Amino acid sequence: MKINITQIVIATILMLSSSINAQDDLLSILDDIVEEDKMEVAYTFKSTRIINSHSIERMKAKQLDFRVNHRFGELNSGSYDLWGLDNALISFDLGYGITDWLMASIRRSTYEKTYDGSLKFSVLRQQTGKRNIPIALSIYTNAAINTLKDELIDSNRDDIPLSLRLAFTNQLLIAHKFSESISLQIMPTFVHRNLVNYDEENNIVAMGVGGRYKFHRRVAFMCEYFWTNHTANNDNYFNPLSLGFDIETGGHVFQLFLSNSRIMEESGFISKTTGSWNDGGIYFGFNISRVFAIGKPKE
Amino acid sequence: MKKTILITYVISLLSTIGLAQKQITKEGVIEIFSETSLFTIEAKNPKVASILNTENGEVVASTLVRSFKFKEALVEEHFNENYMESHKFPKAIFNGQIKNFSDINLSEDSTYPISISGKLTIHGETRDILENGELTVKNGLISANLTFNISLKNYKIEIEPNYKDRINDLIKITVHFDYKPI
Repeated sequence: MKINITQIVIATILMLSSSINAQDDLLSILDDIVEEDKMEVAYTFKSTRIINSHSIERMKAKQLDFRVNHRFGELNSGSYDLWGLDNALISFDLGYGITDWLMASIRRSTYEKTYDGSLKFSVLRQQTGKRNIPIALSIYTNAAINTLKDELIDSNRDDIPLSLRLAFTNQLLIAHKFSESISLQIMPTFVHRNLVNYDEENNIVAMGVGGRYKFHRRVAFMCEYFWTNHTANNDNYFNPLSLGFDIETGGHVFQLFLSNSRIMEESGFISKTTGSWNDGGIYFGFNISRVFAIGKPKE
Repeated sequence: MKKTILITYVISLLSTIGLAQKQITKEGVIEIFSETSLFTIEAKNPKVASILNTENGEVVASTLVRSFKFKEALVEEHFNENYMESHKFPKAIFNGQIKNFSDINLSEDSTYPISISGKLTIHGETRDILENGELTVKNGLISANLTFNISLKNYKIEIEPNYKDRINDLIKITVHFDYKPI
């Protein structure tokens, strides 16, 4: 029989305890067994997105997230367009948990008829206990392809090769859950676009911040902002700022928000946000997320 | 040297005496089940710890609420965040007694009906329970099986009005412990 130190300790405690108040001691022995070395601080965000950007949350193994996302037209476009509701950009998004630490997603967006695929690695999870980890860290990497017709991308070219249609985004997602109601995330981001206008940089560095304030069991206030180096000298583009609410019903998470970006894919909203909060370039948008369990969970 | 051996011997002797009267499991299983016409919820927790004092029938059991595993991650999230509030009340605990323990003959392999009473603590609320189950003795090892219902209302686990048709107030709890001598 294998001799186990805990067993010896338990045995000794048991032996010593039989004379004293037996039952309370039995419970305190159980406390030592049940107490875990680490307690994960889970549920930092309600879904895999803050608003536009990804959160540190991932789909766990064998869970599939189906998302339908809408970004409407400009709010100040008047009643003729029903304040933008007549014009929607949409995207469909499937995210699947291959393992508990790796999620793969594919998405198709109206804007530039973009297809993109991404991987998210959950590297560190916030936990308390013997090994205290104060933050959660995920790595997000994305490749997107613009599938517009050649002449729509550049009217001077008849043939745009595949490589020039690609854009890549890499992000570190670092989050800390301060309390049940407050979570904060920072997102150092690197974007590379293979094709840009003549006066633009191919590489963009950005820093995002996002947070949630959960003020009700099922409702949270969300915000998200990206500072990018390429908006500084360029009047055409603005830093994306989004404010909204996460509302969860039994099976769905609804995210309703206002943003100055209509683009849903990362390299797009970080580099090509044209709306401005100052002069009405604000759009209403929503994401709907529905999670399905595929197959049996592991024991 | 002799002294050390002697001490070791005395300790081991004492502990055998001490141990003979307790059986333990760290991998007891508790399943929960709720069913309405709209929605079925089931979860399994295979990490329940329990000790049975075979001298007098005292039983204690304890587990982390987080250890309940659901098929759907979202339901698990709701269970922990919205209903059990496992960040505030991490453990569920039972502390009680098999009332008719004297009827059980531990040297005879058989299945005995038992009546168990004690205090069950869930969601920070402690309630007295009295339930019937059975105990199986085989080669001196004891297994316990118990099925009973608890009412969420009793433990102040609040279900919002518009979810009442999906979550039954009565939750069926199935307990299965295989004890081993320590």
